[in-house]
Amino acid sequence: MVDPGERAREEFFTEAQEIVETFSRNLLSLDATLKVGGDDPALVNEAFRAVHTLKGLAGLFGAVQLGLVSHRLEDLLDALRLGRMPLSSAVLDILFGSVDVCAQILEADRGASEPPAAAIEALCLRLDALGGGHAQQQSPVVEYELDPGMLAVLTEYEEHRLRTNIDNGRALYRLRVQFDLSTIDRALEEIKDRAKRHGEIITYLPTGESASPDTIELDLLMASRDDLATLIGTLGADNMVIEEVPRRRRPSLAAGTVPPPDLAGTLLSLAPPDARLEPSTRDDIAAVEPARSLKSVTQTVRVDIKKLDHLMNIIGELGIVRGVLSRLSERARSDGQRQLATEILRLHRSFDRRLGDLRDAVLEVRMVPLGQVFDRLARVVRQISREVDKDIRLVITGAETEIDKLIVEELSDPLMHMIRNAIDHGIETAADREKSGKPAAGTIALNAYQKGNHVMIEIEDDGAGIDEGALLDKAITLGRISRSDAGDLARHDLLGLIFMPGISTRDVAGDLSGRGVGMDVVKTNLAKIGGVIDVHSESGIGTKMTITLPITLAIVNALLVRAAGQVFALAVSHVSEAIVFDRRALRRVEGREVVSLRGQTLPVCRLAEHLGLPEPAEAAPRRFVVVMSLGARRLGLVVDAVLGQEDIVIKPLGPSISSVRGLTGATELGDQRVALVLDATSLVDDVLSSTDLASPEVAPRG
Amino acid sequence: MADLAKHGARGPRRALAHQGPVREFLVLRVGPEDYGVELTSIREILSPPPVTFVPRAPPAVLGVCSVRGLLVTVVELRRRLGLGPAPASRRARLLLTTGTSGEVFGVQVDEVKQVVRLSDGELELANTVFGGDVADHVLGIGRPKPGDGVIVLLDLVRLVDHLPETV
Repeated sequence: MVDPGERAREEFFTEAQEIVETFSRNLLSLDATLKVGGDDPALVNEAFRAVHTLKGLAGLFGAVQLGLVSHRLEDLLDALRLGRMPLSSAVLDILFGSVDVCAQILEADRGASEPPAAAIEALCLRLDALGGGHAQQQSPVVEYELDPGMLAVLTEYEEHRLRTNIDNGRALYRLRVQFDLSTIDRALEEIKDRAKRHGEIITYLPTGESASPDTIELDLLMASRDDLATLIGTLGADNMVIEEVPRRRRPSLAAGTVPPPDLAGTLLSLAPPDARLEPSTRDDIAAVEPARSLKSVTQTVRVDIKKLDHLMNIIGELGIVRGVLSRLSERARSDGQRQLATEILRLHRSFDRRLGDLRDAVLEVRMVPLGQVFDRLARVVRQISREVDKDIRLVITGAETEIDKLIVEELSDPLMHMIRNAIDHGIETAADREKSGKPAAGTIALNAYQKGNHVMIEIEDDGAGIDEGALLDKAITLGRISRSDAGDLARHDLLGLIFMPGISTRDVAGDLSGRGVGMDVVKTNLAKIGGVIDVHSESGIGTKMTITLPITLAIVNALLVRAAGQVFALAVSHVSEAIVFDRRALRRVEGREVVSLRGQTLPVCRLAEHLGLPEPAEAAPRRFVVVMSLGARRLGLVVDAVLGQEDIVIKPLGPSISSVRGLTGATELGDQRVALVLDATSLVDDVLSSTDLASPEVAPRG
Repeated sequence: MADLAKHGARGPRRALAHQGPVREFLVLRVGPEDYGVELTSIREILSPPPVTFVPRAPPAVLGVCSVRGLLVTVVELRRRLGLGPAPASRRARLLLTTGTSGEVFGVQVDEVKQVVRLSDGELELANTVFGGDVADHVLGIGRPKPGDGVIVLLDLVRLVDHLPETV
């Protein structure tokens, strides 16, 4: 049904997106190594490979802009990996900028809108500015008595590694090794692995001589700090001869007279012996060979999340069939057909078990690690901290925690806003921090962990904390709260003020950088994916925001209740308990019905009345209060009966009725009936909105 | 529905004698009146499954029901046309139709009668009959048989596309 061209295009975008993300991750690692003064050629290589693949991909799909940008990036990274240009913070800035530009281009291409020409232009200009002024280094390689045959086939990269090693004062060794042809791949890897502890294998080349037809002799060029005796002691083997490559002094070949390009023979027109080697062991060949790098090596399939939703729906339907089987068995039993009943029951059990397995399997497929979004955040932290000139340490734990793909998608914006707020307004300037005896670098901790059927994400900073006084003043100025009520506010509710529209953390942190994003937006967006946010803050010590999210949206464990003769479902994640409704405990406080629950006041709402449903003529003898908890806010829902829990698949209501407040969808129950699913967030909002701050602890006791 | 269509195709009359292209309409009853809706706008005709009332929905919406796992918004044609609520009837049927937004609606009618085939000559479009001053869900007037009265032809999709907030 889907146009194959369209599908290929979709895959192109997904793949390109993934590559850009990988690239971004590499840059972050590079940034981290650079900060401690290190250099990691493997990381530069990886980044190079990423843009190289991106370029190939762009070429295949005729994505001109992306091709242009990735081509320029490839040049830069090539220069970096070959040591023609030193890696610096400034270069990384440009590279980080390029990630955003690539993302913009992809977005524009996907939406068939105008490419971000200005951004591309700016990036190219910055790349141009980098390009000049980097003279080629002089090669000290010529000082060594190296086999010219070997030098002639060095790739530019290998040559660069050779030079770097010599520059770092490492000695060169030649390892002549006999390999068995059948095991050469493994044996070679093994030697490389062992050699890592002492230095680096720069290149290897067959000598063309071998003792027997089944063996091959290779010369391995190795650079190491250790002396020959140590190497022989640790690496040595029967099939190996290790020699040091002697230096030579020959005036005619003094540094400078032989330009490096002479050494950089083209690897691709390589001598035939090398063709016998497994190319994958030489990773930098793989990098320059598009056909290889475009081929997917992982055993994964990309699936549109909609298809998984469809699967989930079918599983929901099967759940209904399961219910029918169970009833059928009961009916057979009551009809006296005992044996048939037992057989159906057995069938039902086996069906139930398999269905459970199937459901778990599909749910598992939907899960992705939070690391996906955390990586993006790490980039944001780096960028913003540079913008505002604050030194920020981001500590991430629990990146491997898994959550529904749909939730991850909706999570990145709210998290980004919160992180931005933390850096912008939470963390003080270095000077202020030192004054209050804190380390100059601020720390933001991003923790994720699973707790039952929920995933918790904490964003914690060691900044100044929220200024409660200023927050209260602002709320009063905006008329969100009266001055008289203000005195009654518990601390917790006071902090809850930051989630009110119009109030931003900027106002209370006294910082004027003007980036404060309304926390009310963050809260609303999180609520859309079933998330709840809580805030804790200690003045001078820091602020901690805790987000509680359901693991998946596809299947919801729901509490079924009855009101006005109709069945409603309510996500269990929002329910803390259900108690028997005691009419005598009911009190009226400021026009609102409340009950006392363990010494705390709980506002209650009669569900039927709230929805405008007629109460049944005969009132239920015993009614119940379902206590809903949304973060710190609580509301008791008065219902006629609590019917039990069930795993439900929520289906959205049609557009003509989707705007009905208090409902989030509908679900099919076993008996072909449909139950409406209540939206806890909007119920609590609607009921508590008249006096927004009247959360349990605040309302006067009476 | 297949049976109905076949039945209609044979037809009780000889509509084919007339000239011009022929359109098929399902004749249904709402209250005392017969109406016609074009067959092509109906996905399926079924006995109404249990309907769950949706509070605060537009008044014409009876609620939602499930048709083989598909969530369907049920609109009562009587209320949509501004008539009083219907007494429960065993003859009531649900006509499934798809709104422009893709939402699937079940339009509940009091009774489904037969299919008629109307040629151009038996069909008068609303603007020619009423001079434009007519609700946009009225397609026109049909005269299935001389001397057999007329039926109002309704546009089912337009009926569900615009559900008034009040009746």
